[in-house]
Amino acid sequence: MEVQEIKLNMDLLYDITNLLNQEARLLDNRNYKDWLELLTDDIVYRMPVRVTRESKDLTGKDDAMTYFEESKKSLTTRVLRFGTTSAWAEDPPLHTRHFVSNIMIEPGLKTNEINVKSYFLTKRSRGTDHHAEEIFGERIDVLRKVNEEWKIASRCIYPDQSILTVMNLTTFL
Amino acid sequence: MSITRQSNSNGVLSKERLENIKEKLDQGLFPQWMVSDPEIFELEKDKVFGYTWQYLGHESELKEPGDYVTRWLMDDPVLLVKNKKGEINVFLNSCSHRGTHLCAADVGNRKTFTCPFHGWSFNTDGELMGVIAGNKVFGEKMVRPEWNLRKIPRVETYKGLIFGNLDKNAMALDDYLGELKWYFDLFLARSDGGMEVVGSPQRWVVNTNWKIAAENFGGDPYHVATTHKSTVELGISPQDPLYASYGHQVQLNHGHAINVSSSENGLNVPPYQGLPEEMWPMFEKNLTKEQLEVYKETVVIVGNCFPNLAFHCPVHGNEGHLHNYLTLRIWRPIAPDKTEIWAWFLIDKAAPEEYKQASYKGYVASFGPSGTLEADDTEIWTRVTKASKGKMARDRDLNFNNVLNYMMGMDKIEPNRSWPGPGIAYPTCFTDFALRGMHDYWLDLLSADRDE
Repeated sequence: MEVQEIKLNMDLLYDITNLLNQEARLLDNRNYKDWLELLTDDIVYRMPVRVTRESKDLTGKDDAMTYFEESKKSLTTRVLRFGTTSAWAEDPPLHTRHFVSNIMIEPGLKTNEINVKSYFLTKRSRGTDHHAEEIFGERIDVLRKVNEEWKIASRCIYPDQSILTVMNLTTFL
Repeated sequence: MSITRQSNSNGVLSKERLENIKEKLDQGLFPQWMVSDPEIFELEKDKVFGYTWQYLGHESELKEPGDYVTRWLMDDPVLLVKNKKGEINVFLNSCSHRGTHLCAADVGNRKTFTCPFHGWSFNTDGELMGVIAGNKVFGEKMVRPEWNLRKIPRVETYKGLIFGNLDKNAMALDDYLGELKWYFDLFLARSDGGMEVVGSPQRWVVNTNWKIAAENFGGDPYHVATTHKSTVELGISPQDPLYASYGHQVQLNHGHAINVSSSENGLNVPPYQGLPEEMWPMFEKNLTKEQLEVYKETVVIVGNCFPNLAFHCPVHGNEGHLHNYLTLRIWRPIAPDKTEIWAWFLIDKAAPEEYKQASYKGYVASFGPSGTLEADDTEIWTRVTKASKGKMARDRDLNFNNVLNYMMGMDKIEPNRSWPGPGIAYPTCFTDFALRGMHDYWLDLLSADRDE
């Protein structure tokens, strides 16, 4: 395959921003089947727990334990679960809104890949609850160009809370 | 110590009401108002959590001298730190000078802990080392050891599990765990080197009362077929609606509860929860003949160490293959309708590395906030609490028939007297004997006369 150097320019930033916005829309519309199509078959999808640490100990991201440690296969299992008649946490379905911002693109490790950093804020409203729940943090992605289309090859989600204030994670971030 | 039930005649548990509650519990009925009544919650904080052994952490979390983790014993902040000699000290995480929350991080390593308020510092044995302007301001007569960090009155361990107790007169941990130890050993002591904690705990908040979660693990395999039906639909769990009933539910002393599940007639399951064959000789060496007999056919062990340490040792996975793991979890009561969950993943130190990895993935897939099983649990626990707050549910005189049904198995099921383990074992997990035992012990503590 012809190797083309990927230029980090406004056009690319526009394309990537569109892709992440599109992804957010698919999730909020519960179109998980199409969402899975945005992921490469070898995707590594993780969400390490956040730990409160002293300032000398840096970030408090603990890679040894996660809230998500997923492959395409296990993500597919989770998606199929939403299609069952008894995924009670999503029945009635929660209303979610995925906000993605502060998108930055950087050169990737491979010629057909780029690194993408973004911030996320996901709000959700459950049944008749008065309070909207939220979860927020940053995402470090690797996007890969496959057949002229960008796919998510890796995602690491870092929540900004040591103790999550959502009672469950029934959407993807 | 023997406990006599005593009503707090001016409070929520008047003599008459206590009799009424007792009568209901004896019939397998639990007054719904007691789920999340604010006054009951205050009583629990004192009389249950102030007098029972509370899980604080695992020895494997502290490896080097100076390693520390901070935890909560109900509302008391606790600091666990390894000293130079390799011993684990457990202190109230509050400066002895003016009470500041001394160490605000979850985990780390320090030789000294210095209070950010006035600068008093303490070593890993809790000894007061530095006092800013010491002699000049407090004089030479200040007896420094009197101002060391305050120790949690009782700290004892069992096979790597560290417990604390605020009651200096409490029975020994060994006695408190009592009959539960035999079952704990099935996973804590099966392999050489025992279990180890991997990474930090997952933590999240659920709007439910702590008892709902404790009961769910302690004695409610009955919920599995419905709450977790989605995993049946996915083909991860068996189709047989009775699959979670096979095995034994065991009522243990001191309110502990456990379910040792197997398959129908003990058939078609790999021995020892499918753990690698190379580990079997360890099990055969470390467990007794009776324990092996039970463990060999075990599929899932799930239970609750009263009041709020749950344990779950199942087989699970989202990638088409199943692995065994252990999760320990604290249901930390925050409010009558709010609980903080601390969930640790553990696996045998002696397991092959590859197995540990797969086991960890199986854990994250099934439990924790995203777990294909637990996500639905928390949703439903929240609904129980939400629907138990109104005038009808909260009526303390039970005028609205506001009692919950824990009658399963009453007068119907006889204990299996040939069961090799301790406790009263019933030959099905679809029964409420363990939870009724839990309720009895809970009421004993709530109504205990503690004038000392």
